[in-house]
Amino acid sequence: MRHFSSLLLASVVGAWTTVVSVTSLHAQTTDPTFPVNGTHDKALVATVLEHATVHLDAETTLEDGTVILHRGRIVAAGPAATTSFDGPAMRLDMTGLHLYPSFVDIHSDLGTPEAQSAGWSRTPQDLSDKKGAYGWNEAVRPETSAAAVFDPSAEAAKALRKAGFGAVLTHVQDGVVRGTGAVVLPLEDPREALLAPDASFHMSFRKGSSSQNYPSSLMGATALLRQTHLDAAWYAEAAPRGMAGGTNLSLDAFVLSNDLPRVFSAGSWKDVLRADVTLSEFGVENAIMLGSGDGYQRAEAIAETGHRMAVPVDFPSGYDVSDPHLARMIGLNELKHWELAPSNAARLHDAGVPVAFTAHGLKDPGAFLSGVRKAVEAGLPEEVALRALTSNPASWLGMSDQLGSLRQGSVANVLVTDGLLFASSTHLVEHYVGGNPTPMRDRHPLDLTGSYNVNVDDSVYVLSVQGEPGKWKASWTVNDSTEVKVPLTLDNRTVVLRLATEEGPIRLTGNVWMESRIWEGSGQTATGQWTDWSAIRNAEAAEDPSSEDPEAVATTEPAQDAPEDLEAGAPTEVANVTELDLSGVVYPFTAYGTPERLSAETVWIRNATVWTCEADGVLEGADVLFHDGALVAVGTDLNPAELLPAGVTPVEIDGRGKHVTPGVIDEHTHIAVDRGVNEGTQASSAEVWIGHAVNSEDVNMYRQLSGGVTCAQILHGSANPIGGQSAIIKFRWGAEPQDLLYEEAVPFIKFALGENVKQSNWGDGYRSRFPQTRMGVEQVYYDHFIRAREYGQAQIEHRAALRNAKRKDIREGRGPVAPRVDLELETLLQILNEERFVTCHSYRQDEINMLMHVADSLGFRLNTFTHILEGYKVADKMAEHGAGGSSFSDWWAYKYEVKDAIPYNGAVLHNQGVVTAFNSDDAEMARRLNQEAAKAYKYGRVPEEEALKFVTLNPAKLLHIDHKTGSLKPGKDADVVVWSDHPLSINAKAEQTFVEGIRCFDVNRDLVLREAMRTERARLTAKMYNAGQSLGTGTLKRPSERIQSHYHCDTLTDENR
Amino acid sequence: MKTAKHLLQSAFTAALFSAVTLTAWAQPTPGPDQSRSILILGATAHLGTGDVLEDCAVGFRNGEIDYVGRSFQVNRQKYDDILDATGQHLYPGFIVTNTTLGLQEIGAVRATQDQYEVGTFRPNVRSVIAFNTDSEIPPTVRTNGVLMGQITPRGGVVSGSSGVVHFDGWNWEDAAIAMVDGIHLNWPSTHHRHRSDGKIDIQRRKTYDQQKHEIDRFFGEAQAYAAAPRGSVTDVRHEGMRGLFDGSLCLYVHTNDARAITEAVHFKRDLGIERMAIVGGYDAYLVADLLRENDVAVMLQSVHSLPRFADDDVDLPFKLPKLLMDEGLTVALQVDKRMTEMNSRNLPFYAGTARAYGLTEEQAIQALTRNPARILGIDDQVGTLERGKTATLFLSEGDALDMRTNSLTHAWIEGREIDLDNRQRQLYRKFQTKYGAEVLDSPAPNQ
Repeated sequence: MRHFSSLLLASVVGAWTTVVSVTSLHAQTTDPTFPVNGTHDKALVATVLEHATVHLDAETTLEDGTVILHRGRIVAAGPAATTSFDGPAMRLDMTGLHLYPSFVDIHSDLGTPEAQSAGWSRTPQDLSDKKGAYGWNEAVRPETSAAAVFDPSAEAAKALRKAGFGAVLTHVQDGVVRGTGAVVLPLEDPREALLAPDASFHMSFRKGSSSQNYPSSLMGATALLRQTHLDAAWYAEAAPRGMAGGTNLSLDAFVLSNDLPRVFSAGSWKDVLRADVTLSEFGVENAIMLGSGDGYQRAEAIAETGHRMAVPVDFPSGYDVSDPHLARMIGLNELKHWELAPSNAARLHDAGVPVAFTAHGLKDPGAFLSGVRKAVEAGLPEEVALRALTSNPASWLGMSDQLGSLRQGSVANVLVTDGLLFASSTHLVEHYVGGNPTPMRDRHPLDLTGSYNVNVDDSVYVLSVQGEPGKWKASWTVNDSTEVKVPLTLDNRTVVLRLATEEGPIRLTGNVWMESRIWEGSGQTATGQWTDWSAIRNAEAAEDPSSEDPEAVATTEPAQDAPEDLEAGAPTEVANVTELDLSGVVYPFTAYGTPERLSAETVWIRNATVWTCEADGVLEGADVLFHDGALVAVGTDLNPAELLPAGVTPVEIDGRGKHVTPGVIDEHTHIAVDRGVNEGTQASSAEVWIGHAVNSEDVNMYRQLSGGVTCAQILHGSANPIGGQSAIIKFRWGAEPQDLLYEEAVPFIKFALGENVKQSNWGDGYRSRFPQTRMGVEQVYYDHFIRAREYGQAQIEHRAALRNAKRKDIREGRGPVAPRVDLELETLLQILNEERFVTCHSYRQDEINMLMHVADSLGFRLNTFTHILEGYKVADKMAEHGAGGSSFSDWWAYKYEVKDAIPYNGAVLHNQGVVTAFNSDDAEMARRLNQEAAKAYKYGRVPEEEALKFVTLNPAKLLHIDHKTGSLKPGKDADVVVWSDHPLSINAKAEQTFVEGIRCFDVNRDLVLREAMRTERARLTAKMYNAGQSLGTGTLKRPSERIQSHYHCDTLTDENR
Repeated sequence: MKTAKHLLQSAFTAALFSAVTLTAWAQPTPGPDQSRSILILGATAHLGTGDVLEDCAVGFRNGEIDYVGRSFQVNRQKYDDILDATGQHLYPGFIVTNTTLGLQEIGAVRATQDQYEVGTFRPNVRSVIAFNTDSEIPPTVRTNGVLMGQITPRGGVVSGSSGVVHFDGWNWEDAAIAMVDGIHLNWPSTHHRHRSDGKIDIQRRKTYDQQKHEIDRFFGEAQAYAAAPRGSVTDVRHEGMRGLFDGSLCLYVHTNDARAITEAVHFKRDLGIERMAIVGGYDAYLVADLLRENDVAVMLQSVHSLPRFADDDVDLPFKLPKLLMDEGLTVALQVDKRMTEMNSRNLPFYAGTARAYGLTEEQAIQALTRNPARILGIDDQVGTLERGKTATLFLSEGDALDMRTNSLTHAWIEGREIDLDNRQRQLYRKFQTKYGAEVLDSPAPNQ
């Protein structure tokens, strides 16, 4: 599948002593397959860059070296003394200059069409609009070939060359599966530019220009990616035997790409880890991941994936923090990112992640090199930086023989500089790409600095010139004291200046000779008289021009004289505690993150009122002891010395006047999810899993820990009858997304009934997708479950057929073809097999009854009805079926189907023997679930001990995790809350919340954190303020407010573009 | 006296019994005018003045409070009925401000929505005449002690005029305490979120100056109109604004932003508007001095809400009432986040949280009683238990600010004993009969 271009390869291989003979080259023009309009260019003359400091690669430098370019390739590179060209050659003196391999950008869109987002549609589009025998989803475009559409603009190509890029891997940045990328040189002529047409295969989580509804969410995009991999594997087997149900050119292309390097345009570190989850599933171990520049926040986790990172250098500019009110809108995480972003590459490298720089994200690639220099300044070793610019991306593409070094045989990509690449004073002088030069500065620019005696009109003026090429500053001294500025420009060899004499201005133009020792020319006096003039440089050494780089100044640590009161609204009583230094990476990387990861403690809570949620009930004056994440003992007069391993001393908490309960469990939440909680674009989205989109950095987890919550089920929304798979997480504050997933959890899925799935409130555009009525909802279930059952049967039959087939037939590819793996039906089959449980969003009794009948007739049990606001009408039926209920305490009146909702619902369900919980479905209410439990007493007088179980043991039962959490029992997880007061009282505050023994919230540490955050914000604000003295230059941004999407069941979005 | 008390209790029992046996679904019947004087004895009375009276005696007749004192001081002979409320708590009726109760029945059903009118400036649009006394929601709200509400239109720049009602009446005319108490101005945001290149910036709104100019012009014209002698031509919009300039109406400025609050205070000074309250006011603590010096009150956003910024103290919304009251501001609570109508019944618990986060108990109660009454300009009638005030009050078995103990036994509106039943209690009882189960309610209607 991989074609390499037919550009001429130099056939000469040699050692350091190299004489390249022209006769050893095939004498032919560069493209023999094209007719030539005019006379032929035989390309006989080589370019010899001699006497340069040659950086063959990051490891090898020749002090006096020569590189010979011919017909687009490097034909020799070695010491100047021993490297020459035996034939017509243009010899260019490179003395004082440095030659580097050109940069390679692994993530470019050069010459490809830009994806335009289609935006949210008023009417749904279920299938692809693309003409031809392609796949069903517009976001899956493996048939796209960057090479086929490659058509670069001259400006874009030139901008890349001037930025130092000699080759880029370009791809059409559109869709979840994006097709193949091409390695190209940034040249205008595609035939000359294309180096490797199908060099890579590209994927992302972003839907791009597709106008189709599916996928609307991150988890939907993930499912689509997984299903596409599965489909391709099946298609490869089925299609050749005519059993694939027709031709699918998209899958054809996917199959053909199997051996290409995988490039995943991921984004944030969370997306990098997510991409790893999915790619690992399909055996991709060392993909090239595009990061967003925040990888340093979890460098170790990225290192563990084994993938390689394309690192952007579009560092955030500062914010305008002059208005302290508006400055509040910048999150600490954003302030920190501003400071730490340049260290991204260094921190990734230190963690062991191979990195390559990319200009991705930069509006102007001209800013690329200064970005890389910032990364070097922030700690990346120079040789690593050079590899990250050259040999790393080249080798990742398997093209080290052609790109990334100045070795014989490589493409003639040579970057000429006037100093060491990473020095801020160094300029790019010239850039050879495929042997074509792009000049940027004079190779040996005139140095005008010095003192001159200017003779004009019988007078002598002493002229002083400082500065650097392009930025000359001249002045002359009057009467040995007053300095007068002299406007002076140099254009090639013509110098123009203007002397303001007492008689008026004299305008001079002249030529510069002898390396600027002598200038001479003619001029015009104030009266219009022509005159001759000359200038001779004085012998004394020119004053060394300042080498201060303005950028270097800007990034230097400024004085830290922050006004202390920048942070308005902070508490006035300044507790003099700043034990926590938040200046580095914090876990999680958001407000209330801590510099060290939290770990489990051994704790002995003494003499408290303990709500065990077990048969023991409420114990007065009791102790709770836990160690190593698990409860050791609960009871009175505990003796830790007997109960704990030798040498372990517990931390004591004085429980007098306090109440201790199990951690609160929220059966129904939508926090901690990135980019969409609903994949509501189809009647069933059983294939999506919210576990693919968990957001570990959501401050709402911390807020809820401050309300005693330790565990929650993150549910898919309620936009479709068969929703997505849910994730049960522990609020392990500071852990990575996949580490929040609770190991003890069993698989769950969200179903939904009623107005949402009928799309009743989505506007008149959404009147076409089945179902539109409760009648249709029932049939969705029957249709899908019957298909799932048949799907399971087909798998059984296939296994039987495999057993009966002849080994030889199987070996030779004539065995039975396996049924296509369908992630949606797989999930539904798990439900039928009772390997996965259902939580069903439900309101009205008719539909609740209906679904229980559906389940009964198909032989499975509905685990939980959630919301279930009319559960009180069918509590007996639910009890009989064995379904639990997870309700709101008192919500109603927000839609028609909750007209009959009553706050007594929980009490009725409970009294009828239904396992009953109260849930939040709301980021705010979730932190007061204990108060919601109190409403089970208020409305219906459920005894308080039982009411507390509505948010502890009962949701644990509903989630099948009650063997490990939900009550205070030795052996269970140490999910423990210490309350200031009766836990059902409005006065109760959680003082400590332990998740598996980890003190994830502590009311005292919270105060320390607030203070530390305030201090850190003040430090960063001052630094930003000092760095941004030039307010109004347009380089600073107004503060940005973190928009927090608070998802609910019916939150419909299309935010994964 | 024992007889009288017994009689009263029998009357309650009869009323409750009839409520249980009535099968027709109807909203509770408005209470009959007070014909017999009532004396409540022995309760802990939270007067709304900041004072609390243990073992109180509170008497009222013809809908008006005529005695507030200690039980051993009162002349019991003066009262027809004595209610022994020992161990209970007595409160002035709570007031929910800035609510759409009675204007919207079901959020997702457009036909039941009456809070959004069309147009930018519509001060003449008034809410009370659209207040549906037969809405099913207020009976569930008053069950928790919220007996009055400021019914407030939404949308536009000047959304209209609010009025104040009792949650009991045959029609809005009966229910009204104030037909119009003020004008609601949604202050345009000064900055808005701008998204480009996947990053979100705050920019000054390009339209802000124009909108501010239009507000200045509209209010300026209204002021000129009000100052001029009445002519033969009437502009109903300007007529609706008249009260702002003579102090009879309050200007309610809806905003949470410090910058907008500051602008609004200057607006008040420039126009010489006497009465102003900030509605929302998340940032009010940042500009508290300005508000205090200019006599601007705050009707604070839902206490049970999330911090606006991730870096904010996690309990900032809980302690805002404390922060503002410590600055000497007049603070009333309201329910402006999700599901305002149904959530109005949780208003007492907002005050409970404010108490847990720093307010004294009586301050917390004032945030639901005297303070909103003052802001709404009805404190001569309601908001405190004082002689001469309207007898709108309730008794709870326990602390009404805590859901654990909020349990009303009696409530009176203008002296009329109101039925604490509601549709939800009816449904509860109905389905307990299905299961043959006991009704356990607070107070249990069948006990």
